[in-house]
Amino acid sequence: MAEQPEGALSVYRVLDLADIKGAYCTRLLADQGAEVIKVERPEGGSPTRSIPPFAGDEPHVERSLQFLYRDANKFGITLDLEPPDGRHLLKKLVETADVLVETYPPGYMESLGLHYEALKEVNPGLVMASITDFGQTGPYRDWKGSSMVHCALSTTMISSGYSDGAPINLPGMPSYDAASLIAATSIMAALYQRATTGSGQYCDISVHECSRLGLYPWMVPIYSYGLNPGSPPPPPEGRLGAAIYPVYPCKDGFVRIVAITPPQWKALVRVLGEPEVLRLPAWQEFMYRIANAADLYALMLEFTTKYTMAELFEAGDREGVPIAPIYSLDDFANSSNAKARGFFVEMDHPVVGKFACPGPPYKWTGTSCSVRRPAPCLGEHNERVYCQEMGLTKDDMAALRLAGII
Amino acid sequence: MASAPLEGIRVISFGTGAVIPEWGKALGELGADVIKIESRENPDFVRTIGPDMNNIHGFNESNRSQRSFGVNLKKEKGKELVRRLIKTADIVGENFRGGAVRSLGFDYEDVRKTKPDIIYISSQGFGQGTPYTNYQAYGPMLAAASGVLSLWAQPTDPYPVGANVPLPDHMASKQAVFAVLVALDYRRRTGKGQFIDLCQVEVAACIIGEYYLDYSINHRVAAKVGNRNPFAAPYNAYRCRGQDQWCVISVLTNDEWMRFCDAVGNPDWTRDPRFADTVSRLRNVDDLDKLVETWTIEHEPREVMNTLQAAGVAAGMAQRAADTIDDPHTKETKALVELDHPVAGRRLYTNVPYRLSNATLPPSRRAPLLGEHTDEICRELLGMSPEEIRKLTEEGVLDAPSR
Repeated sequence: MAEQPEGALSVYRVLDLADIKGAYCTRLLADQGAEVIKVERPEGGSPTRSIPPFAGDEPHVERSLQFLYRDANKFGITLDLEPPDGRHLLKKLVETADVLVETYPPGYMESLGLHYEALKEVNPGLVMASITDFGQTGPYRDWKGSSMVHCALSTTMISSGYSDGAPINLPGMPSYDAASLIAATSIMAALYQRATTGSGQYCDISVHECSRLGLYPWMVPIYSYGLNPGSPPPPPEGRLGAAIYPVYPCKDGFVRIVAITPPQWKALVRVLGEPEVLRLPAWQEFMYRIANAADLYALMLEFTTKYTMAELFEAGDREGVPIAPIYSLDDFANSSNAKARGFFVEMDHPVVGKFACPGPPYKWTGTSCSVRRPAPCLGEHNERVYCQEMGLTKDDMAALRLAGII
Repeated sequence: MASAPLEGIRVISFGTGAVIPEWGKALGELGADVIKIESRENPDFVRTIGPDMNNIHGFNESNRSQRSFGVNLKKEKGKELVRRLIKTADIVGENFRGGAVRSLGFDYEDVRKTKPDIIYISSQGFGQGTPYTNYQAYGPMLAAASGVLSLWAQPTDPYPVGANVPLPDHMASKQAVFAVLVALDYRRRTGKGQFIDLCQVEVAACIIGEYYLDYSINHRVAAKVGNRNPFAAPYNAYRCRGQDQWCVISVLTNDEWMRFCDAVGNPDWTRDPRFADTVSRLRNVDDLDKLVETWTIEHEPREVMNTLQAAGVAAGMAQRAADTIDDPHTKETKALVELDHPVAGRRLYTNVPYRLSNATLPPSRRAPLLGEHTDEICRELLGMSPEEIRKLTEEGVLDAPSR
């Protein structure tokens, strides 16, 4: 391994007590080489393991696709935090850790005596991040969330979908991933600061707050015009995606055209063969195009349908107007771009077998950033952590297992 | 109380649009001195989407907590000033149009000659080393090219239209912030800088990673997934009283279903055996959703949300910005911050989205006017005399603010 560059964070140990809200946070740290140990309850493991769909559609603790994806690159041990022996073991682990990430409801860790104030007594350098649906304070702190609930509250969902239909949820887990990214940022800031101060700190992260910021923060200044006497109100918020970033059919699928500036519009007209009807000067104005989106759409169809997705994509690059094919998942997975960058990394999981897993979205020159190992099986590293490292005997382990503690 | 985590760190931003400007804002909020390189001749394109380049709200949101250095990179003297500035910097970020920093002489290879331990992040739509490396890319386009848009529709929609949300821009900015903090921590321990090649279309694909596993493992190509959850119901957006008002409800377990039934007052339909358990509810989900809507349509969305949340059921109204501004939780948690801008006036902006127990962060600073800090940067960081500054301003090398 000497010839391979190490991960930038390979000096750090992270304890991961996170469900789906924070799984991507610790995956980010693991991709940079941090040793991330997932601490799961012995019965059934992390709640993420129960989220469908499953590999082969077979419900099983090792087969949740969410767990296989967001908990890849981590080690895993089992530990019940509630009995005194469990809390004691967690504190022993905290002594060896740099970071702890947890996602329990506000107050739960404190009820176990495992809140930051208690853990910093054990390890003053600990950086602890709590990622909760609505944060540790405020009237909604005990509310429940889901990825869709956060998209709705974030102001992004009301802008999503056809103007006469229901707002549409954003696919994937963007709210949780936004919170995870912001949590990972606050953890790195705290670790960096620790080098100067010697002490760790506590980071309070609200998925609700992060989703507004992670998905579309620009609406807040626009619609706070009321603070300024005399400011004209902006147009009402609605589902304008189809007008602003229209999607057009073409020969073999659909493309999305992102022409904003006048030069981009002129380039688009060139791409489409300079049809007379599109050369009217009024169309060069972005706001005019939005105000007359339906008429323009009807005109455009005749021209976009003459070309394939690839022809329009390439011509957009050549002429200077952003045009993208609407790729299906298999289109992107097999795209020249994903292949050239080696974005998908082959994993070999003891239960699921081989599959392609999305790697990190960046390449690093000086350090290794990648997904190196599949998600851990439940309790896979118990022996390594409890015996080899903490010095428990096989008999101790058996007793702890029998008592349901690990 | 400790100081700000990035106090003493200087960042040079060749940013335009959303990703690198917002990256600069986040680093500025952590205490770094972030300097945005721009000029009247080559402004951030978001400054150009309205009649007054200092009065664009999207710009003013994403470019806070940084200084504007108005300097013309087309002129050799301008380049020389920026090279001198980079000598004092720790981090450089760019998302200019693909290939632009290379032609200007500020790509990583150029910059490391000036500053060997620089941390340099380039954020491009398709990343380095691909046929599309220099494609001028915007977020909405990358949502399409990553597969995200193919999922972002109701199953009955003829084709997806997504939203006016420029996903993945605001996620890419956060990936970039995390990345340079990792690199900074590594440099602290090793003295080594590095180049980070961020690929925005991959940022988008990462959001839907579980669907890529479904493709690879289960050989399914998911499409138009809509609002419903194939494994739980009721789980959808429901129309409420008012004009285009909606609330989403996420019932995942039977316990939550019982709570839901109590919260809506246990009307007869909630006792229908077709809805008794998750499998039955999923089998009869069309009817179930219609019946749920008979309740929601009688109430305003905030009332639906408050009633269900009080009963322990996850629910959230489809908020507009005005709703979030007036929301009691937003107010009490100080999630928004009011700032006064000389042109835009008083506005609310998103506050720092985390609370650190042992750091003192600088107050959020409004976005700069174009060239607002040219003079102080020239004097304080480049040691220039007022005479030199005046001369270069006349020559069109430097831009001072126009007001």
